[in-house]
Amino acid sequence: MQVFKIPEVFREDMKYTFCPGCDHGVAVRLVAEVLDELGLKEDTIAVASVGCSVTIYDFLNLDTIEAPHGRALAVATGVKRAKPDKFVFTYQGDGDFASIGLAESMHSALRGENLTAICINNTTYGMTGGQLGPTTLMGQVTTTSPMGRNAEYYGYPIKITEHVALCDGTAYAARVSLDTVANIKKAKEAIKSAFDVQLKGLGFGFVEILSTCPTNWRMTPEKAHERVRNEMMPVFKPGVYKDIRG
Amino acid sequence: MELVTDKKILTKGNYAIANAAVMAGCECYFGYPITPQSEIGEFMSGKMQELKRAYVSAESELAAINMVIGACSTGKKAMTSSSSCAVALMQEGLSYAASDELPVVLVSVMRGGPGLGNIYPSQGDYFQATKGGGDGDYKLIVLAPSTVQECADLTYKAFYLAHKYKNPTVLLADGMLGQMMEPVVFKDYPYPKVDNSSWALDGANNRDGRIIRSYAPSAHNQCEFLQKLHQKYKLIEENETEWEEIGTDDADVILVSFGSTARNAKIAAKMCREKGLKVGVLRPITLFPFPSKRLSELSKQGKKFISVEVNMGQMINDVKLAVKDDVKLINKPVGIPPAPVEIVKQIEEYYASF
Amino acid sequence: MEKIFLIAGFGGQGVLLAGEVLANAFMLADKNVTWYPSYGAEMRGGTVNCSVTMSDEEIGSVQSYNSDYVIALNQASFDRFLPGVRKGGTIIVNTSLAVEAKPRDDVKYVFAPLTSLAEEKLGNVKMTNIIALGLLAKSSGLISLDELEKALETVIPPHRKNLLPLNKSALEMGYKYDLLPINC
Repeated sequence: MQVFKIPEVFREDMKYTFCPGCDHGVAVRLVAEVLDELGLKEDTIAVASVGCSVTIYDFLNLDTIEAPHGRALAVATGVKRAKPDKFVFTYQGDGDFASIGLAESMHSALRGENLTAICINNTTYGMTGGQLGPTTLMGQVTTTSPMGRNAEYYGYPIKITEHVALCDGTAYAARVSLDTVANIKKAKEAIKSAFDVQLKGLGFGFVEILSTCPTNWRMTPEKAHERVRNEMMPVFKPGVYKDIRG
Repeated sequence: MELVTDKKILTKGNYAIANAAVMAGCECYFGYPITPQSEIGEFMSGKMQELKRAYVSAESELAAINMVIGACSTGKKAMTSSSSCAVALMQEGLSYAASDELPVVLVSVMRGGPGLGNIYPSQGDYFQATKGGGDGDYKLIVLAPSTVQECADLTYKAFYLAHKYKNPTVLLADGMLGQMMEPVVFKDYPYPKVDNSSWALDGANNRDGRIIRSYAPSAHNQCEFLQKLHQKYKLIEENETEWEEIGTDDADVILVSFGSTARNAKIAAKMCREKGLKVGVLRPITLFPFPSKRLSELSKQGKKFISVEVNMGQMINDVKLAVKDDVKLINKPVGIPPAPVEIVKQIEEYYASF
Repeated sequence: MEKIFLIAGFGGQGVLLAGEVLANAFMLADKNVTWYPSYGAEMRGGTVNCSVTMSDEEIGSVQSYNSDYVIALNQASFDRFLPGVRKGGTIIVNTSLAVEAKPRDDVKYVFAPLTSLAEEKLGNVKMTNIIALGLLAKSSGLISLDELEKALETVIPPHRKNLLPLNKSALEMGYKYDLLPINC
């Protein structure tokens, strides 16, 4: 029998602040478990971003700096270059990573910064109330695409992992989903791999996590996971897109 | 370019700044090129790599300032350098750094604006540096060199004050100082080491994780924080205000001028003395904190003030607030400062108006 | 005493370097000195100039509108900067690339075919600027050949030190050049 315990890296006074059914909770827990398993707590400097992801420091008992919106990987670059012996990762949303911060994100990958970026893709700007973001699917209704996303007004969603995998400096890039127990296990493996390439000094590690936003999608958690499966995964296909460890 | 540590050399202001930064122990440089300060990044690119320190050719000024924020969060000495329209891009980062209380050092070598403007010298970013373009109630420490020697000396001081007060600090030079060569001597870094062990991020080893952040969801906490921040600014005003005074004791009229422009103001004042006009000079070296108290004292002695600037009149506002009187402006919109004879002519006109 | 020198020519004629040598020489002579270049857009293919201000006292801002001495290495520089020479000042003109003419009668002229001298006597056209400095030392009397030579040693980078003897010959050639005719 497997006994679950609270990861040691979690803060003792931690309060759960995400919406019910939101996958951020699962994602943060997976990050915490991997940090525990790799014994990284005392060597880690985390970089928080702006969006729902900002509260990472309320969960994880790590040295953490909060970056301005979109600048997480620039801040992380500064941290890592100043302290190359520390383990450094960012925890960002898709808006932070792939819209306002696309330049900082891609250039960190292109430079092959020895960093890990975890990016939550929930196809919307969650914290501000569910507006259209860079990953909003075609036809998706949001508060700023009331008739659904169309190419004429909004263009197309970005497939982040594919772009990151194309960068020469990227050592590992994967997209995962949290819709089933099996996929949650795969997600944890991916996070572990993305941490591992940094520990081995191989370059940029990246995991895009497909996540629910039940509140802004106006769905039950169960329906939200069905949407991840039926609408997101056909467009944002899970898989390991690059792993230079072979 | 070789690092110079022990002899008098003739060099550009930009190189003097870069050389001094390396000697001050700057461990991380992040930057993006822009005239008229590109020599700083060029010098740093080679020197930092030779010394196995951190250097990144950032993808933008936005990235550069945030890399500095990241490096500073670990307690290291880190800097970037830029100019006017590109410093505009850094305003967000400066506001965050002020809120995060990080020892960011920015070298701002002013050129003509607004917008892309031109590459000629200017003092048009007095407001940008002292009033800030970022959001919220924050202050940057601002140091204004007037010679290439001061470019070096105040670079040392910028690192020291930034770390002493955990506050972003700007060395505000201009295209003339950046591009001109003058003799300069590099002393050893003269300031004590600042202990940052109580706040720097180094991994949560046998202690709780430290959080450096500006997000303040509670209004109450933000009130307390701002009070505390401004107590720090008051302390900086009390301890660090620096200025140079020449012939102010018996002066009827005092020229207030900073940076490269102050050089010509000094010569103009001397020429006025030769004509029997009692003119003195007050040169603020720190623009924040501004020598308001001293100006107020001098004003109470009945002296009149003229602000001499290369912009459309920016510092004059701070002079007016300090002296609580009308202040004349002698200015040139952009370029190398107005010639001393031109300044003297306008001073004579000012005298004639009484 | 404050004196302002302006050196001007095409990009590639070593204008900025000549100014740097001159400024270093004044520094070695314990004078206050500033060097200021034209920079930026003007770097691309056009004319280049720099001004060197030497003084026993604190120097104000750099300026290039009024000079005591001008070295004009081409016609465009001669045309542009002759009007700014102070009354009684001197203009050194490279007659290889500028017409020998005296549009003003209140300045001194030093004419010399600097480019030809560099090419024919020294076999290196890049010595044009340094010969001009020799002429300046002689005609101004404000800086010695010795100080200029020391300045050259400072300014020429380590990997170009083999060019030092040639540069010194160029200085001497300029210094010994028959300054006549100097006319007001």
